[in-house]
Amino acid sequence: MSHEYIPEIATDRDGNEHEVQGWQGDFYGGKLGFWLFMFTEVLMFGAMFMVLSYYNTLHPQDFLDASASLNRVLGGTNTVILLVSALTMGLGLLKMRTGDVKGAKLMIWATILLATAFLVIKGFEWSAEYHHGIFLMHDQLLAESPLPFGQKLFFGMYFTMTGLHGFHILIGIGLMIWLLKRINAGKVSQDHHILYWNIALYWDIVHLIWVFVFPYYYMIGAGGVTGGH
Amino acid sequence: MSKSYFDETHCAIGHPKSTFMQWMLTIDHKRIGLMYAAVMFTFFFVAVATAFVMRLELFAPGAQFIDGDTFNQAFTLHGVIMIFLFIIPGVPAVLGNIVMPLMIGAKDVSFPRLNWFTFWLYILGALVALASLFTDAGFADTGWTFYAPYSLNTGTNVIFTLVAAFILGMASILTGLNFLVTIHRLRAPGMTFWKMPLFVWGIYATAWIQLLATPVVGITLILAIMEKYFGIGIFDPAKGGDPVLFEHLFWIYSHPAVYLMILPAFGIMSEIIPTFSRRTIFGYRSIALSSASIAGVGYLVWGHHLYTSGMADTAKVIFSFLTFFVAIPTGVKFYDWVATMYKGKIILSTPMLWALGTIITFTIGGLTGVTIAMIGVDIHLQDTYYTVAHFHYAMLGGVVFLFFAGLHYWFPLVTGKMYNEKQAKIAFYLQFVGFNLLWFPMFIAGYYGMPRRYFDYLPEFQIYHQFSFFGAVIFITGLTYMFVVFFKGWTKGKPSGTNPWNATTLEWHMPSSPPPLENHSKVPYVDFEPYEYHHGEPVVKFDYETMKRID
Amino acid sequence: MDTNTIDYKKERAGYYKILVGLLLLTAVTFIQPHLFMTHSTFLAQMLIAVVKAWLILMFYMHLKGEKLIIWMTGFSLFIVFTFFAIVIGVDVQKFQFQDESYITKSSTKAHTTDAVHSEPASHSAH
Repeated sequence: MSHEYIPEIATDRDGNEHEVQGWQGDFYGGKLGFWLFMFTEVLMFGAMFMVLSYYNTLHPQDFLDASASLNRVLGGTNTVILLVSALTMGLGLLKMRTGDVKGAKLMIWATILLATAFLVIKGFEWSAEYHHGIFLMHDQLLAESPLPFGQKLFFGMYFTMTGLHGFHILIGIGLMIWLLKRINAGKVSQDHHILYWNIALYWDIVHLIWVFVFPYYYMIGAGGVTGGH
Repeated sequence: MSKSYFDETHCAIGHPKSTFMQWMLTIDHKRIGLMYAAVMFTFFFVAVATAFVMRLELFAPGAQFIDGDTFNQAFTLHGVIMIFLFIIPGVPAVLGNIVMPLMIGAKDVSFPRLNWFTFWLYILGALVALASLFTDAGFADTGWTFYAPYSLNTGTNVIFTLVAAFILGMASILTGLNFLVTIHRLRAPGMTFWKMPLFVWGIYATAWIQLLATPVVGITLILAIMEKYFGIGIFDPAKGGDPVLFEHLFWIYSHPAVYLMILPAFGIMSEIIPTFSRRTIFGYRSIALSSASIAGVGYLVWGHHLYTSGMADTAKVIFSFLTFFVAIPTGVKFYDWVATMYKGKIILSTPMLWALGTIITFTIGGLTGVTIAMIGVDIHLQDTYYTVAHFHYAMLGGVVFLFFAGLHYWFPLVTGKMYNEKQAKIAFYLQFVGFNLLWFPMFIAGYYGMPRRYFDYLPEFQIYHQFSFFGAVIFITGLTYMFVVFFKGWTKGKPSGTNPWNATTLEWHMPSSPPPLENHSKVPYVDFEPYEYHHGEPVVKFDYETMKRID
Repeated sequence: MDTNTIDYKKERAGYYKILVGLLLLTAVTFIQPHLFMTHSTFLAQMLIAVVKAWLILMFYMHLKGEKLIIWMTGFSLFIVFTFFAIVIGVDVQKFQFQDESYITKSSTKAHTTDAVHSEPASHSAH
């Protein structure tokens, strides 16, 4: 924050001095605030998972059938991509904290690249599904199609949740570009890296959500071929 | 005279010269709180006017001067404004913003710019909500609960309202987040959680609800939008969805939301009672912990809205028991307040009158709530005027009465002026009488079967509606008069001095009145309890220049 | 946070170790349906996900040692689980209108004819 701040001292009755925490330059406060924000993300996706498992309970077999028809190769590739991008993001933060600004910027670019790759693969996946007649407001998901309710709900939630997750990725890319600008402007540095820290946290929560989205959509029906569930 | 926060401010962007822009861009928590108050009470009066139109329509059976569809839109507008624009942001955004940082000896909230942003997010949400009033399709007619599947099929503009509720929810989340970090990080040295004023406890518990419950309704509204525009069928049984799930998700937020409204209001009560009884509060820890446990248990009782919706019987029984359980910490609070007054030197100033009035009205509201928490009774009383009267006794007679109490209590702090006590008391009595006359007949009408949200009724209910109407007239007269008294107080009132009530908490230990821009001249070291009185006099005294204790 | 005393090499090694762990778990995700717990794929998958999430939280998100934030995280997760326990575990598990409800009846009718994979006869309740 741009306001200059000199920590104040409060003195108790015995004359002991206590440093006052101001709102300016409060690293821990910034971190705490961002964690609290992430809880709201957890609650949001938690509620969506609740909707998902609600209908899973009502239509167990439909969910397995629908899950079995998703493309596990593309989904798996995306999982690995996000995994690696979490590493590059973390390493970048580490570099920033040790003063290697150039290395940090390189790592952010790598993360942006991986995030874009994720979105591109997601795009291929969605368009393939579209050609199979499975997409929002399209063919098999229309109200009059004979696809069972359970499958329709599964795919509907699939597009909603992966779409919302993709939207988070998009925001993440935007945040990283903004972060690069702030680094170039000298506003984020080794001693003042709360912004970087929080964007790294954001990227981790995006990854974390995928850690649950992936198995619930792609994997629960994977055993369907052999008959188990 | 020293400069107050009315004379100078910090801004989010640059240093504008014009006073207007300084207000628009201010990051000072006191100014932001005042702006919230101005906007919120404007909406409050719009919603009161809508309610009065409905009362007029209900004066006699049959259609008077609005038709059924307009009536549906009227109660939706009333509900949406009162809930989303007034009472949910209500006490935290106005009094929490203004008073909470002062109470913990902070210079501002933890993220002042975020606070500024939040205010404008709130304004955006309000504009979106009201925008649909001026579209062809018209305002939503679903009631503020947006129950599926009707909300997904109606021709009116529900989506505007849903989006607005989502934005307002975001604003609410960010306020809560800001306050949580502020309370964790910016308390003055020495102030442990057990030395915080109880209003701060109330705000703290509230902030957790804002943070962890609001996202659920946010995502519910997004799902409803996905359903309406992408045809997924999440809540519409025609497409395979379950409307009960919508009710679950909606009330997972909206029931904790009533505790979100009442907890900071209880905090106000806990400030006023010891101050005007000139006694240390009885059972400080039990009040603080009961706030926390109301917030905690409040998460788990939403199902009592679904008794007649087709929820599983086991779930009904569990929810019924959990709902009874909330009454316990609430009861603890009330006993503590009454015990504080026992043998106290009670001073019947206006804030105290409001607090005492609330003890009566909220007890009625709370206990009638326990009756409808019983499954069997609720099946009879669900969606009747009994329920309407219950939640208006709890919300208007609890939250809003205490909000008014807080306004009277902190008015001299915020403005540096004193209103006319005698006139303010007249306003209280008018409202108290009008309020009871307005809502009490509804308990009886509801018990005899008058359903809510109907714009017509059988002739046998006419007498109750007419009592209510006259109550409404008296209530609105008192309400208007109260704001006139406030206005006169602010423009022509006598300077109040920094501590007109002989209160003990930190917000009354300002170097000047109204407070300067950066609050206390120095941050004090807090080694005392919040409400220390000895023989009716505050124990702790400060030198306001150095903020050192001189008692 | 003390930024000056960072053992760069040690921390970097830590990042890579966790990466390897996460990659291994992802691999396990893929072979699990054919390898173990084949009759409760759902449970197995969720368990793996929880382990992965724990690794990310503790090491990538630096939650280790953050007492206050761990408590808050625990509280938030507890709230989510309670919602699940009540809505899924208590309410919809005991769905009382399985036979007469439109939303459940039509699906049981439809999926036997329309399912992508043949349904083994031994299928019992989930």
